Amino acid sequence: MRFFFLFRKEWREIFRQREMVALLFIAPLIQTIILGYVVRTDITNIPVEIVNLSGSLETRRLINRLLASPLFDVKSISREPVAVEKIFKKGKIKAVIIFEDESKGNNQAMVGGLDENYSPAVKSGPLSFPRIQVLLDGVDANSAMLAAGYLYGILGQSLARFWQREYPAASFQPMTVIRFNPSLTSIYTMGPAIVALLLTIITILLTGIGLVREKEQQTLDTLLVSRLTPLEIFLGKTLPMAVVGLIEMTLGIIVVSFVFHVVPRGNLAYLFLAALVYLFSLLSVGFLISLLSQSQQQALFFCWFTMLLFLMLSGLLTPVENIPGAFRWLTVINPLRYLIAIIREIFLKGNSLAYFWQEILIMAGLGLVAFLFSLGIFRRSVIK
Amino acid sequence: MRPGKIKRLIAVVEKEFIHLRRDPRSLVIIFIMPLVMIFIFGNVLSFDLKKIETLIIDLDQSSLSRELGSHFAASSFYKVFSFETPTISPTGKVDYLAKAEEWLRQGKIKQYLYIPADFAQRFGRRLEPRVLVVIDGSDANVANRVYQYNQRLFAQFFSRALPAGASSLPARIEIKMYFNPEIISIPFIIPGLVAALMLMISALLTSLSLAREKETGSVELLFISPLRSSEIIVGKTIPYLLVSLLVGLAIFVFARVFFGLEFRGSYFLLFIIALIYILSGLALGILISTVASSQKVAMIATLLGTILPSMFLTGFIFPLESLAPLLRAISYIVPATYFLRILRGVALKGASLEHFLFEAGMLLAMSLVLLALASKKFQAMRQAKR
Repeated sequence: MRFFFLFRKEWREIFRQREMVALLFIAPLIQTIILGYVVRTDITNIPVEIVNLSGSLETRRLINRLLASPLFDVKSISREPVAVEKIFKKGKIKAVIIFEDESKGNNQAMVGGLDENYSPAVKSGPLSFPRIQVLLDGVDANSAMLAAGYLYGILGQSLARFWQREYPAASFQPMTVIRFNPSLTSIYTMGPAIVALLLTIITILLTGIGLVREKEQQTLDTLLVSRLTPLEIFLGKTLPMAVVGLIEMTLGIIVVSFVFHVVPRGNLAYLFLAALVYLFSLLSVGFLISLLSQSQQQALFFCWFTMLLFLMLSGLLTPVENIPGAFRWLTVINPLRYLIAIIREIFLKGNSLAYFWQEILIMAGLGLVAFLFSLGIFRRSVIK
Repeated sequence: MRPGKIKRLIAVVEKEFIHLRRDPRSLVIIFIMPLVMIFIFGNVLSFDLKKIETLIIDLDQSSLSRELGSHFAASSFYKVFSFETPTISPTGKVDYLAKAEEWLRQGKIKQYLYIPADFAQRFGRRLEPRVLVVIDGSDANVANRVYQYNQRLFAQFFSRALPAGASSLPARIEIKMYFNPEIISIPFIIPGLVAALMLMISALLTSLSLAREKETGSVELLFISPLRSSEIIVGKTIPYLLVSLLVGLAIFVFARVFFGLEFRGSYFLLFIIALIYILSGLALGILISTVASSQKVAMIATLLGTILPSMFLTGFIFPLESLAPLLRAISYIVPATYFLRILRGVALKGASLEHFLFEAGMLLAMSLVLLALASKKFQAMRQAKR
């Protein structure tokens, strides 16, 4: 248990500066709350402009539907053709919805590039509907797609009602059930994961600069002439960070469940088990960085690089399935990806260990590789 | 500026360059890493739906239901599969559902369609057919888009119920995307990445400079030097301005060569704006460095202060319009918000930079305020020592 003395020294070292308490525990919690509110926000208030060239009653009904919807923020309704591209270039409006004039023959000059058999009105039964153009600013591909979906949904649904009497099959609506997160709120998906992210940033950095710092301050030699083995040094350096990480996670989960009412459906004990294994793999990587860098600045850059790779390839922001084959292996060696998958399984699906023991084993394996590698190069890199 | 003042400034700049030269490996790292990241993330990040595993449980086994299945399978967004040799037995129905639910829970499939046995029959009698769709909501964003896309596929499929020639809806809705007609995420992601990386790099570069001197004690020498505090702060920033400019240039060239990020408009103006943007990052870093008592503190503060805000609070991933007023207010103090708006406008829409003078002005104002705060804080530290 000799390493305990090193543990105690490191533990004191963490908190020697007063700012550290704030940085380790308070700043991440504030960020969790802020980012929680960011991700909780579902895409609403999409700024749109309506151009109503049609005078029909049906059009006015459709426009009222749009005005009532919280998904869209109708900035203006004009009765004149507008220069769409110019509006988009200003960047304030994301979509322009044009209800064309049924009575007039041709106004395609306004947007250009419409098909040959152009007729601005579609006759259907006794009612006459304008042709509707939805023009979107495609720069933000994600929200443009969503906006297109919403608009198609709202307009389509109101229009489909007119078919219903005559052709019920055509107004078909499947019965859709959404499991695990019926209201599709992103906070359930993102909240706990953000906690994982923040604890990653802090613990890997502190471990990453651990040995380099001693190199820079010339205290490493003292550590080396002590009778501690590399394994004991590893434990003494990483365990305090693991404790910090677990405390942070506990606080984060408390905050997330109180502020955002995200309550785990599964057993939290499994979450702590997963977090512990994750911290082992993460901190082994951190320890390796500490051995490989020559200055704190280098360690900082390496840690930054590693944590961004972990974050971007974790499936938190974009689904892992989207990643093309040549880059897939990067997600396989990313421990954060497994932790986030496990967090979602525990929080949303309420799964038990039977569903994710493989992920835990993979994380442990990754950690072991980094750990053994750092033990292997320990002598060579510290004596240099 | 008087000549003496310039001379003093140059002395600080020179001293800082010596620091930079002493750790050349750091410089190499800071050059290579962002390029590697742009390359990986540009290839990897995509919000497009792809290969959404969809299970179809077809109890009807009619030609119509099979056509519905192949209609889904034909979509490039979905990867459709069904159970082997489905037999219709009174108990079979229940087993299929249980199995599908289990797969959903394991994450093997993202959604399943359950087509009951009376599907074609109802359609033939001109009744509304029934289909159950169950989606895994554990990634809310994906589930939302799968839902929207399903609606469209169904609408297309069932337009066959209408008399020949009529479209599925009584009015035609035409959707057209501007600037990015194929709706690919890359042109949207690359500017966001460029903005986030440049902010992080510049802040990281300066964040250690003063903190390191505090640790080694050499800051005392700066305290007693005849230099003014503002000269020390500005002098310490200039060398990193050059480094970050070079890194930024490399990033731009790289983004252009590999991802076709194009600019229409004046390169000179873009250069000036990038310069101001980098300055704001450097100023943030040096402020942190002045306040922090050690390198450790400075690093954590910089990472926490740049990584997540520059991705979540700038419109990079989450559109700003949807945010609550308080959060939008916070987004206004993140420099990347402005630079991202400029880059997207210039690169994708071909808007001229003159549209973005407000954003550029905000960046400049922010840089100056941060620099002023840093020198004020430095001055206070100096006074405390006297």
